[in-house]
Amino acid sequence: MSLGDIWLFLQQGLLSGLVTGSVYALLALAIVAVFKTTDVPNFAQGEMLMMAGYVALSLLLLARLPYVAVILITLVVMSLGGALFQRVVMERVTGSRGVGVQLVITTLGLAYLLRGLVRQTGLGDTPRSLPSLVSGDTVAIGEAVLTKLDIAIFVTAVVVMLLIYFMFTYTRIGKAMRAVGMNPRAAQIVGIRLSRIRMMVWAMAGLISAIAALLITPKILITPDIANIAILAYAAAIVGGFTSLPGAVVGGLLIGVVENMVGLFISTNAIVVAPFLAILVTLILRPQGLFGGKVQVKKV
Amino acid sequence: MKRCSLDHLALAVLLAVLCVLPFTVTGYVLYVVNLLMVFAVLSLGMHIVIGEAGQFALSHTAFYGIGIYTAGILNAAWHPPFFVSILAGGVIAAILGYVIGFLALRMRDIYLALATFAFGEAMQWVFLNWESVTGGSNGMQMQPARLFGLRLTNDLQAYPFVVGIAALMLWITVWLSRSQYGSALRAVRESDVAAMAMGINARAMKQSAFVISAAFAGIAGGMYTLFVSFIHPDSLGFQTTILVLTMVVVGGLGSVRGAIAGALVLGVISEVLRQAQSAQEIIYGLILLGFMMFKPRGLFSGTGKRGAKPRASADAVATTGRSAAP
Repeated sequence: MSLGDIWLFLQQGLLSGLVTGSVYALLALAIVAVFKTTDVPNFAQGEMLMMAGYVALSLLLLARLPYVAVILITLVVMSLGGALFQRVVMERVTGSRGVGVQLVITTLGLAYLLRGLVRQTGLGDTPRSLPSLVSGDTVAIGEAVLTKLDIAIFVTAVVVMLLIYFMFTYTRIGKAMRAVGMNPRAAQIVGIRLSRIRMMVWAMAGLISAIAALLITPKILITPDIANIAILAYAAAIVGGFTSLPGAVVGGLLIGVVENMVGLFISTNAIVVAPFLAILVTLILRPQGLFGGKVQVKKV
Repeated sequence: MKRCSLDHLALAVLLAVLCVLPFTVTGYVLYVVNLLMVFAVLSLGMHIVIGEAGQFALSHTAFYGIGIYTAGILNAAWHPPFFVSILAGGVIAAILGYVIGFLALRMRDIYLALATFAFGEAMQWVFLNWESVTGGSNGMQMQPARLFGLRLTNDLQAYPFVVGIAALMLWITVWLSRSQYGSALRAVRESDVAAMAMGINARAMKQSAFVISAAFAGIAGGMYTLFVSFIHPDSLGFQTTILVLTMVVVGGLGSVRGAIAGALVLGVISEVLRQAQSAQEIIYGLILLGFMMFKPRGLFSGTGKRGAKPRASADAVATTGRSAAP
């Protein structure tokens, strides 16, 4: 491999990595936001993404709605679904003193249910893509080549992240969510309704899943296995510290770049194992992640 | 009625059924029973690390796989008596468990769960890609296990040994849980700071529970090689860990009889659902959600109302562990 090749690969890996990484970052944001406010590690995040893809697909194929309507309905359905799951299921599980194991199993149950539902419809048998709103023309940046679709994905993801940032920083709901994340009991005392905030966080997770699905599925095929993308989002969340929203974004972009570099420089076969190695290395060397702050010792 | 005598009764019934079975049923049913025994040992192992020591580890299938491959490869290479290859699988799983535990047990709760989850997935990748040893994605054909000239070629021949090993592992679990060591583990589960104040080396307790759990999984893997002649990495993924975790939790976290009951019930359910491929995941998901919503502490969740209060329920779990069968 000549020096020129390496330079080209570095550019291409960095740019492609930022594109896929921005989608991982979105999903990681959803995981972290849910974990911060409800203490639930959402193992069903990938299935929520998959579900969003199939909701859009079935609206498009079976109901034959125009694409704009499909997008809007998918966003609404996924938000409502997330809120409903928190209200009906999670509320009950946390209420009966659900500890970590129970919470994890509940989200795993949701994951199985969603996978099963999608398989039952038979839509998953033939892999399909959603139509793209942007043309697939290529654009050269430096020596690297991206499609216009890639750029649209990255820009939309960044805009969504900025919106989330503004929501958390400036709106009452966002501040309430942060307060619940810091200390639920104190938040309750100052008049924040916990169950409503938690529903909103889950709704946000559903919304983000829908956005991520709509962004990524014109680029890759929708199959039930698309849920495995969430593993990369998990790696991103852990690298970023698991409780830090900016960390999730940085982690997502980092994982995206690393994944692409591994694919270009080592082998495509190694891509699958890269996120797990990232998780292991982070947890062993720096368990609190890049942005996790100090490890807190729990008092008796 | 006393819990203890009920346990003895249940155990006697189970024993009677197991004795009569080989004379009455077909090979398939025996295969399922053998599989249930393997699941029972797996879930006992997970019970030790999650139920007794309170460490949320999700790497069980990795050690199970290591047990299967170790025993399978030994059987093919040297044809040792099968208990040697099973033990070897247990020992190698335990050694790897020690290393992983050493690295991972500095973390708590969700971080430990994620680290062990990542290790499990990485191991599956190793099984899938280390082709010279595991056969990779072609799977591995395994030689029948031997015991001094006897070759175990079908489910019926393997049956008494599989049941025997499962009984032995159950006895070891109950013995551990009743010993001072078991009490120390539960003390660490409730609060490692308080346990350390009482002079218990919490770190060593967690570490040893993790190693024992890994050894159990390795031995379960060895048991598997007694009656199955083919292994593919696809069956050594996260879903197997989830299945075992569900057995332990649905049975009742922290109770030996829960681990056994969960293994039997969910083992049968997962085998029955295998026939109904399309609905499998939906039903399984609904079972998980339903249990967590309406019976989060499982089938054997201690007795009566004591389960309702957090502190008291911890005691209840502890006592359940102590009075557990037989």
